[in-house]
Amino acid sequence: MFDHRIYEQIERYLAGTLPAEEKASFEALLLSDPRLADQVQEHRQVLQAMQHYGKRQQLRHKLNSIHTEMESGSQTANSELIAWKVFFKKHAQTMAVAASVSLLSVFGTLWSVQQMKKPVQQQAARYIELRREVEKIKKEQRAIINGIASADAAAPAPRSARFSGTGFAISPDGYIVTSSHVIQGADSILIENKAGLKYKVTEVHRNTDYDLTILKVEDPSFAGFGKLPYTFKTATSDLGERVYTLGFPREDIVFGEGSLSSASGFEGDTTSYQISIPLNPGNSGGPLLDDKGNVIGVINGKQAGQEGAAFAVKSSYLMQMVREMKERENGAAVSLPQQNNLSGTSRTQQLKKLQDYIFVVKVYN
Amino acid sequence: MRKSLYETDEAIMEGIRNDDDRALAHLYKLYFPMISHFIISNSGTDDEAKDIYQEGVIVFYEKIKGNSLELSCQIKTYLYSVCRRLWLKRLAEKGRYANRIEDSENYLSLEEDVPQHEENERQFGVMAEALDQLGEPCRTLLEDFYIRSQGMQDIVEKFGYTNTDTAKNQKYKCLQRLKKLFFTSYKPEV
Repeated sequence: MFDHRIYEQIERYLAGTLPAEEKASFEALLLSDPRLADQVQEHRQVLQAMQHYGKRQQLRHKLNSIHTEMESGSQTANSELIAWKVFFKKHAQTMAVAASVSLLSVFGTLWSVQQMKKPVQQQAARYIELRREVEKIKKEQRAIINGIASADAAAPAPRSARFSGTGFAISPDGYIVTSSHVIQGADSILIENKAGLKYKVTEVHRNTDYDLTILKVEDPSFAGFGKLPYTFKTATSDLGERVYTLGFPREDIVFGEGSLSSASGFEGDTTSYQISIPLNPGNSGGPLLDDKGNVIGVINGKQAGQEGAAFAVKSSYLMQMVREMKERENGAAVSLPQQNNLSGTSRTQQLKKLQDYIFVVKVYN
Repeated sequence: MRKSLYETDEAIMEGIRNDDDRALAHLYKLYFPMISHFIISNSGTDDEAKDIYQEGVIVFYEKIKGNSLELSCQIKTYLYSVCRRLWLKRLAEKGRYANRIEDSENYLSLEEDVPQHEENERQFGVMAEALDQLGEPCRTLLEDFYIRSQGMQDIVEKFGYTNTDTAKNQKYKCLQRLKKLFFTSYKPEV
C-alpha cells in the first residue's frame, strides 16, 4: 500500500521541503493514521542512522589517514624508545626499592663490621707506647745511594737501629732501667749517652706487669758510671708536684716539664702516675724527676686523643723490681745511690749533671 | 602546517567547528603519544592504542559538532578521560581487570558522554551490518543518495536506469529492505 511516492512525501516532509498546505494535510494524516506515523518515525531513524554512519565512516577514514601520515613521519626507533620508557616507568619503583635495599645492606654491613672492630681498635689506639720507630727505610735508602755514589768503597753500610727509647742508670756498676716495650723482640741492645759513650747491654731482669726492664752493661772496657747524682723516691709523690724528664724522642736529648696530675695511670692503673708532660715516641724509659732531683717514675706511655695525659710507672715498683732481681741473682751487687746531689741546685745545673746518666737505648733486630 | 594557528584549545575547537581538517590533524597528532603511552603502560598494544584513541577523538569531535560540549577542562584531560574509560571497558571485555591503572594525567569520570557514544556505536554496528546484508547495488544506491547526497539524475546515469521513476522505485525497495534488516536487530533504548 505504500509506494515510493509516499516515501517521497515522507522524505520531503522530513527534509521540511513540503509546501505549507501539503504539510498541514500530511500532519493531519499522521495524527489520524498511527501506521503512517510509525512509518515516518522509522524512516527518520533509518535515515539518521545512515547519515550518521556515513559521517562516521568519513571521519574514521580521515583519522586513519592522519594516523598513517603521522606514523610515516616518526621512525620506528621511536617506538623502541617508548617501550623502554614504559618499561622503566613501570618498574622504576621496584628498581628504586631494590637499589635502596642493596645500598642499605652494604652500608649496614660496613657499619656493623666497624662496630665490631671498634672496641679492639679503641684500646689499641688509646694507649700509645712511646718507643720510637727509627726511620729505617729512609736511612737504608740513603745508605744505598751512598753505596752507589762511592761504588769502590766496599765497606758495608752500618745497620741502623730498628727502635729506640730512653734509659737511665740506676747504679754506678752498670745497671740501666728502661721500659720493657722498648726492647721487645730485641736481638741486641746498645746504649749511648750525650757524651758519646757507647755500651752494649743485655737484659737481666724484666717485669712486663710494670713495663720495666733492667739492663746491664756487658762491655769489658766498662769502668762504671761514677757516682749517680739522683736518688730514688719510694713514697708516693703528691698531686701537683712539678716534674720533668729527659729523653731521646729524636737524636738529641730533650727536656720536658710538667706536673703530676694524677696518682693513678691509664684506666685507674695504680702502678702509674699521670703526668702533664708533652711526650713523643722515644721518651719511653726516661726518668721522671721531681724538683729535688728524686727519680719518682719511669715514663712509659700516653693516651691518644687526650691532651697532656702521659703516664709513668712509679719508682716504688722499680725499687721492688731491684729487690726481686737481687733475690733472684743471689746477691748481685746493685748499689743504689744514697745521696742526692741535685737537691737545692737550679734546674739547669740539675740537667747538666743528669744528662750523662741518661741513655738512648737502641734496639736491633 | 602552521601549528601556531592551533595553539590554544579554543583555536582547535573553532577549527573543528569550521570543518578544518588541519585542526583535527593537529589535535590528533598532539595527544596521540599521551594516549598511546597510557594504553601501552596498561597492557595494550599499538593497534589497540590507535583504536581507542580514534574512538576518543570521535567522541570529542562529535561533541563539538553537536555543540553539546561544555568543556570544563583542557582538551587533553577530556581526551585522556574518554580514552581511559574506553580502555577500561575494553579491558573488562577482554576479561582482564587491571587492578591498578597507571595514570599519568588527571581524569574526569564522564558519566554521560561515554554511554551516549556507546549507544551510537551500537547503532552504527547494526547499520553497517544491515548495509552489508543489503548487498549491491542497493547499498551503493542508498549510500549515494542519502550519504553522498547525489542527485537522482546522477544515480540514474550511474546505474543505467531508464528513468528517475525506476530509480526511485528501486530506491524505495532497497530502503524497505534496509529498514527491515535494521529494525530486526536494532531496538533503540529509550
